[in-house]
Amino acid sequence: MTATTAQEVPAKPAGTSSRRRIAAGAVTAYILVAVGLPAVVDAYTISLASTAVALALLALSTQLLTGVAGLPSLGQAAYFGAGAYTTALLAGEGVTFAPAQLGLAMLAGAGAAAVTAPLVLRTRGTTFLLVSFAVQQLAATAASQWGSVTGGDGGLHVAAITLWPGAAAVTGDGYLYWYVLAVFLALSAAMALLLTSTLGLALRGCADHEPRMAALGHRVTGQLTAAYVIAGAVAAGGGALLVAAHRYVSPADLGFEVAALALLAAAIGAGSMRGAVAGAVLVVAARDLVGARTGGHGAAVLGLLLLCVVYLRPHLARAARTVTDLRWGRRAR
Amino acid sequence: MSQLATYAVTALDGVAFGLLLFVVAAGLALIFGVLQVFNLAHGTLYLAGAYLAYALGDGGMASLIGAAAAGVVLGAGGGLVLSAALRPLAGRGHLDQALATFGIAFVVADVFTTIFGSAPLPTAPPKLLSGSIEMAGHGYPVYRLTFIAVAVVLAAGLHVMVRHTTAGAMLRATVSDPAMAAATGINTTRARHAAMAAGGALAVAGGVLGAPLLGPAPGADMTVLVLSLVVVIVGGGSILGTLAAALLVGQVQTVGVLAAPVAAPFALFAVMFMVLLIRPPAAPLGPPR
Repeated sequence: MTATTAQEVPAKPAGTSSRRRIAAGAVTAYILVAVGLPAVVDAYTISLASTAVALALLALSTQLLTGVAGLPSLGQAAYFGAGAYTTALLAGEGVTFAPAQLGLAMLAGAGAAAVTAPLVLRTRGTTFLLVSFAVQQLAATAASQWGSVTGGDGGLHVAAITLWPGAAAVTGDGYLYWYVLAVFLALSAAMALLLTSTLGLALRGCADHEPRMAALGHRVTGQLTAAYVIAGAVAAGGGALLVAAHRYVSPADLGFEVAALALLAAAIGAGSMRGAVAGAVLVVAARDLVGARTGGHGAAVLGLLLLCVVYLRPHLARAARTVTDLRWGRRAR
Repeated sequence: MSQLATYAVTALDGVAFGLLLFVVAAGLALIFGVLQVFNLAHGTLYLAGAYLAYALGDGGMASLIGAAAAGVVLGAGGGLVLSAALRPLAGRGHLDQALATFGIAFVVADVFTTIFGSAPLPTAPPKLLSGSIEMAGHGYPVYRLTFIAVAVVLAAGLHVMVRHTTAGAMLRATVSDPAMAAATGINTTRARHAAMAAGGALAVAGGVLGAPLLGPAPGADMTVLVLSLVVVIVGGGSILGTLAAALLVGQVQTVGVLAAPVAAPFALFAVMFMVLLIRPPAAPLGPPR
């Protein structure tokens, strides 16, 4: 436990603004690369990229709980699935207008999260992890058993999305990818705003020392519930994008593997949102791209990635700090 | 009447499956006790045992006993390796340690698929135990009855060891308050190593003996892991609690599926969910609550 006193708060280091400029430049460069991707790679890689972007939203949602609010979650796949099935059922009713699908899917995710939050948020730490795991398993079981609605284990095939009412359906992998990417960028901008808001700071406070936050007069339960509902909505948005990209949904999309991959992506990100997105991209690339190149050894690649992340992260963090400290001409801490 | 007999035989299957889960979950509870982390590679240890039984099995009793002995040694070694692997991560939070065990599970599962292929490998019991006996108009495999007997002896032995011997008392002391246990002169490092070795040995030996019931196949590791997690959580960590929870899960997975095919899959996780909310896992190996 680290109790930070007023004297220990470090002064803002010199060069913060230039560092921030560099970070902003890097994000811009990544976005440009992401937008230009369809011009460079083949259709299969683009469809993988769409999957990665949808999973990146799930990773953002997991990171909001795990890395920011200090609630390690395996359960966001359940809300991801709520969004995915809402989208698929809407498409089945003839609603293929993508923004409507997305909005209603996020509402469904938020609603599901609001209903489960009072139960789930009674717990913390490892117990929270296990409770969220139970939520994910119950949701996946429901998707598999409620065959009359969800199509059971066979899943549902879904009509292609349209970008405005009456327009032609979007079927090209590149266009679908751009739609998925655009929604992702909008939602991650909203997430960035959330993190700098009072709520975002309060959530970090809860992760560090919840009793102290409560003693300071923060309505901790309300704040965590808000975070849980927002995380549910973001995960459901990811689910909607997955269905838009794959045009198919099955219980495997909210299965244990997806849940574990999201937590892995969040762990790779070590508390940061940009890291979680990088983690999601890395996980999909490791499993599907490298896995295919190594003759189906995706599981081993993922496992090794996981072990590297866990064992090497402190060393990498220390090395990165030394490098930046050297660059900014300060003494290594 | 014949339907009742079907249920009775299915319930007996449930007992066998429950006891199999007990053997594996008791190991998981031991490891959870000393590490305070759920070993997500525990299903992998089971799968190692099941593949061991497949690879060494030649239909004779000697090969089964040999495989079981090899399983105990392999499992004990596995537990110690796990303990050593997690030592650098001590003080890094439980999530990192759990993720490390999960990474090991992924890599080893891939190794198994590479060696043994991706098809399930049916593993026959030794010829001596391969017959079946007549029970209420149904033939029942002798191996399952033998397994039930062996597992009951194992459960009784474990309970007596943990609750009624000095070694067990030292282990419980180490689990509930390591600093105080060390202060009273208990070698807590040795107690932890013993628990890790025993936990691994139970999982791998469970795999060797359980292979004819739940055979080696890709994915069996996750099935066993998830079910034994449920068992440990619902059982609260004590040996008797774990036994009761394992028998319950065994019945849900057999009679439950037969009687209520739609509700049964929900039952396990609904029960786990409720138990976690009411009574979080805190004191493994403690007295039954």
